[in-house]
Amino acid sequence: MSTTNVETGKGTKDTEHLKKIDFKMISFTLAGRDYGIDILKVKEIRKAGNFTKVPNTPVFVRGVDNLRGDIIPIIDLRTMFNLPAETKDPASLENIVIIRLDALILGIVVDTIEKVVGISHETIQPPHPIFGDINIQYINGVVENEGRLYIILDVDRIFGDSEPVPTAVASASVNDEGDVPLTASAPAAATGSLPLDLQFVAETLAAFGQFHLSPVNQDWVTKRLGEWKSLREAKGLDFQLTLKEEAQEFLAPFASRHTGQVWAAASVAELSEILKFDGSQIAVWNPGCGRGYESYSLALLLQTRFSKFSYKIWASDHDLLNISTAPALVLDEDSIDLEWKEFTVQSKNGLQFSTDLKGHVLFEFHDVNHTNPMPEIQLAVLRDLLSYLKVSDQEKLISELSEKLKPGGYLILGDNEKLQNSEWKDVSSAGWSVYQKLESVTDARGVN
Amino acid sequence: MKTKVDFPSINQKEPDGRRPDGSSFRVLVVDDSMFVTKQIGQILTSEGFEVVGTAADGALGVEKYKELFPNVDLVTMDITMPNMDGVTALEKIIEFDKNARVVMISALGKQDLVKQSLLLGAKNYIVKPLDRMKVLERVVSSLQ
Amino acid sequence: MRVEYINPFVEAAYNVLTEVLATDVKRGNLFLKSATKPVMGVAAIVGLAGEVEGRVLFDMSKSTAVKIASVMNMEELTEIDDLVKATISELANMITAQAVTKLHELGFKFDLTPPALITGDNMEISDQEVEALIVPMESPHGNIEINVAVRERS
Repeated sequence: MSTTNVETGKGTKDTEHLKKIDFKMISFTLAGRDYGIDILKVKEIRKAGNFTKVPNTPVFVRGVDNLRGDIIPIIDLRTMFNLPAETKDPASLENIVIIRLDALILGIVVDTIEKVVGISHETIQPPHPIFGDINIQYINGVVENEGRLYIILDVDRIFGDSEPVPTAVASASVNDEGDVPLTASAPAAATGSLPLDLQFVAETLAAFGQFHLSPVNQDWVTKRLGEWKSLREAKGLDFQLTLKEEAQEFLAPFASRHTGQVWAAASVAELSEILKFDGSQIAVWNPGCGRGYESYSLALLLQTRFSKFSYKIWASDHDLLNISTAPALVLDEDSIDLEWKEFTVQSKNGLQFSTDLKGHVLFEFHDVNHTNPMPEIQLAVLRDLLSYLKVSDQEKLISELSEKLKPGGYLILGDNEKLQNSEWKDVSSAGWSVYQKLESVTDARGVN
Repeated sequence: MKTKVDFPSINQKEPDGRRPDGSSFRVLVVDDSMFVTKQIGQILTSEGFEVVGTAADGALGVEKYKELFPNVDLVTMDITMPNMDGVTALEKIIEFDKNARVVMISALGKQDLVKQSLLLGAKNYIVKPLDRMKVLERVVSSLQ
Repeated sequence: MRVEYINPFVEAAYNVLTEVLATDVKRGNLFLKSATKPVMGVAAIVGLAGEVEGRVLFDMSKSTAVKIASVMNMEELTEIDDLVKATISELANMITAQAVTKLHELGFKFDLTPPALITGDNMEISDQEVEALIVPMESPHGNIEINVAVRERS
């Protein structure tokens, strides 16, 4: 590992239950707050002073230091983030944390260096504006340990560009959490730029609506924002979303057709035109099924339009209440298409789907971000699910889908969700967002 | 273990575990759980029975029965045990002594094995968690 | 975890615990876990087999185990000895057996293996590849977490 020479702070008795420690950080203080940096990025810590001043450098560059022959810049994070800094005698020695980011080595001045803190990465909470005196984009997360709250700095982001000038030109791309930094202004290069307005809105949608802007929904959000602005202007209101209600109003048209309802026969007919299956079995994965309407609708689709196939639908949701009621879902007689009536029966609680149809659907209480135990599937239906996951989880799930779906298999997303990925062919039509997994050259499984 | 009904009866009756002549019925407890053995022991001794032996698996249970014979009146036999299970042990004991009185102790969900045991000659069965009244009832009825 | 499996475990835990502890037991919120978590000190594991495979794990601290065993044996026990271990194993067995019986009634044929009891310090359960349902039960003697991971055999 690194050549850190720090006393591990094992003085205090660990009164917390043991968690698996898979993340270690060097903790230090800045203006009275506790911060941490991933120990893997820390080269060493030292006391140093009397840095050689370098002209024409930003004010937070204190100078350079000679680290055993290497000249490294010394940055004062307190100045960089406009935090109150104790004025020290320039000749006195200060606490420096030397960090290494790929080829770049630099030292950062801090108030006090504490100890090595070991935590379980699961206990890291996502950053929230309330935790930072410093910009949220420089925070990886926050974690509590032995009664202290540590803000984990994302040094890659802070110093990632060769000019560490965080308050001016910063990467405007959507970060790991999918939450676009609020104050980033100038566009970055590779990932493309996001207009400021969009960033503001994205941040609120994430905070109030648990909706995460990503390539999956960006087109829709952009279009909606245009609409929204006109609507708000007409009312003499600002377009910014500041309340939960506004975020929900903004998102209201996002929901796919037939959400919370059995699908209309006409829509099912259109969808069946798009799908073509081989073999004799269709395994379907339907996470985020809510109360089950979607899953039963899929069963109706397969039962009526793909009757030559035997099929099974694995449906799941992480809302216990919703999923518990799914096996015995009671239907509203008046809203069921005539075509579906033969698959329903009267029960003592009301109209339900027949036992035969229900036999094809398995409902599970499951968190889609956890290990996926599904076998290979021919069809995955994730309507309006991806957009409500953190961007990193969205990407993970899409890549998992790519593995689980047999080549030629289909992925159905929400009506307003898109997939732009070379592994998938867009076969969307009639309002349905459908993508087909392409045969890949490196696919060792071969064609089914 | 506390039970729902556990108070001394108004009418002083003879403890279930004693014969009319005052001597105790002798019981062999076969169970792999120390806890269950202790429980059964407590319930029975409190009613005047005498626990003359214990065994922690079916094979040891059969051995013990042969040792104690004819000075044992009843066996309580756990169904799931390592080495030799209760049903097999029951079979062997009945083979050895066709008049042996064996009561099966079972956890829920072992209906089939309980039925098998009754067919093989077990007199009765008790389901865990052990309820004092039930234990005594079934044991007494097996001794009839 | 399949929706139909949830209630039997929750009910069995509640029923058996209230009966053997002769006290009120509260059920915390159910949640799903798929990561490593530390064991509180004592873990009783019962295997599930048949149409499904998996296990049920009963997790509690050493002091809770001792207190519960004391109540169940109606005597003051002070440390994790063989009797305490046998008692907690039996408790795990009873709860799982009752859940399995309910599941039988619903048409799911499960079978269970005899319990294994593990005690130690600094132990962990790794559920990295498995999703487990956690049913937290709160008793006056401490908390017991019931950790169920079971799937249909594919």
